[in-house]
Amino acid sequence: MSQQVLWEVVKGNNAFLVKRNGLTLSTDPFNNTGVQTYSSTGFISKNAVGVVSTSGKVNQINNINLVTKKSTKFQQADRKTKNTQSVYASTLAVKHGVHTASRVIRKRFGTSRVGLQRAALRKLVKLNRANAVRRRNELAAAKAQKK
Amino acid sequence: MTSVPLVSVFSADDSSKVTAKHIPLPAVFQTPIRPDIVSFVHTNIAKNRRQAHAVNPQAGMQHSAESWGTGRAVARIPRVSGSGTHRSGQAAFGNQCRKGRMSLPIKVWRRWHRRVNIKQKRHAAATAVAATGIVPLVLARGHRISQVPQIPLVVEDKIESYEKTTDALNFLKRFGAFEDVQKVVSTKVVRAGISKQRGKKYRVRKGPLVVYFNENAKLLKAFRNVPGVEVVNVTRLNLLQLAPGGQLGRFVIWTQSAFAHLDKLFGTYRYSSIIKDGYQLLRPLITNPDLARIINSNQVQEKVQPAKTTKVLHEVQKKNPLKNTKAMDRLNPYAKKQRVAAAAAIKANTKGTKKIKKNKALKKASRAAYNKVAASLNDATKAAVQEEQDIKVKYFSVQKGAAQTE
Repeated sequence: MSQQVLWEVVKGNNAFLVKRNGLTLSTDPFNNTGVQTYSSTGFISKNAVGVVSTSGKVNQINNINLVTKKSTKFQQADRKTKNTQSVYASTLAVKHGVHTASRVIRKRFGTSRVGLQRAALRKLVKLNRANAVRRRNELAAAKAQKK
Repeated sequence: MTSVPLVSVFSADDSSKVTAKHIPLPAVFQTPIRPDIVSFVHTNIAKNRRQAHAVNPQAGMQHSAESWGTGRAVARIPRVSGSGTHRSGQAAFGNQCRKGRMSLPIKVWRRWHRRVNIKQKRHAAATAVAATGIVPLVLARGHRISQVPQIPLVVEDKIESYEKTTDALNFLKRFGAFEDVQKVVSTKVVRAGISKQRGKKYRVRKGPLVVYFNENAKLLKAFRNVPGVEVVNVTRLNLLQLAPGGQLGRFVIWTQSAFAHLDKLFGTYRYSSIIKDGYQLLRPLITNPDLARIINSNQVQEKVQPAKTTKVLHEVQKKNPLKNTKAMDRLNPYAKKQRVAAAAAIKANTKGTKKIKKNKALKKASRAAYNKVAASLNDATKAAVQEEQDIKVKYFSVQKGAAQTE
């Protein structure tokens, strides 16, 4: 479905829209900027990558997941990989470091949509840094407990 | 529509099994999305379930109140007659008065219902059905469909014979629809306002809509106790259920026969509907709404003129050419040459002037004299230092000698 048409339907009201303090924000997992705008709203586009922090159900070092949007033209989810695929997205866990994930992002966007690419990369880096801090604290706490 | 999208029908017992692999999508799902029609039709149709109510026509008027007129140092509003009670002499009847009747009291003959043109209602229903097949719209409406295997979700007719709620629940779990039901359960809230005392205690979200076909299906009873789930027959599809709140994109679960019936119900672009007499599906204004693709297509790019480079008309900050040589050169290319020539002329001039020559000579002489004096001073100091050194050496060597002899 055309992104323009979907935007006209969705821009006024959608489940991810948050309006607070005069700001129009979005909790869309495919939106890496947090602000609801036409280009940054990934769930209506064909090609989007969301950098999402997970709650830690899956045992990961990094609590980051990459959610890549699939073309939703009546595709079925692959039932074998139930946890990582859905009708509209496939999830990639970012396990060690940030390099494979950034490669995925770069490949997705290529030379076009540089702004979106940068937003995704920026978020990835920031989440990674935050996780590093968290891990450091956890390690320190574990050490303290051992003592 | 050259290629018709295909849809799979899933087995009711096992969500990984597909009973019918490639069924063409009914034409309704290709209807253009028209939120304007849906919004209009919804606001009007939503009024049709209203029950008449009214205010007691006698409310606030059950007095023999009369205005006291002028001259009594009170407002001219009608006042309650009689005496012996606080109420007497108080204002009555007006909407502004305490215990008075409201302005324009509601009458039972208020126009509660709205009629909408049948064609508009049908277009709205068609668009709403189309929207149920578009994943981003279903997501935007807030349904949790991350575990659902396919949208639109079509299941074999077996679910129509479900009688037990457990069967229904397990079915929903198998197809990833239970997440949506859980959302409904967890967001059940006590309603704000008086309505909670009037039989509407809770505000409950909408979950999946199950659409069946066969009239003697029992699944209504199986599904009706599952919170959020609604069940409806294809022939009675309701815009208020397909687009609750006027918002497109309800999560719908179709049975196979219901899905197959849609073509007869709404017709296709080749033939008009069989059941809705003379109804023809809405045609899109633009067949290809993907603007980006159109603009970047070969056909357009061939005809289009090359992109104009942004021409800088002037620098962003104005520089004064009288002070800034580069700015001056930009305006007057000959200025550079002029400047060079002027400098050369000055230089040549300064070389020849008598006064300047004299000054130069004087400078030279004075420097020479200074150097002379400085040199003689230098010599003198040198000599003095040397003398001192000699004395020191003599003295110390004598001392040493004295030490040695001792």
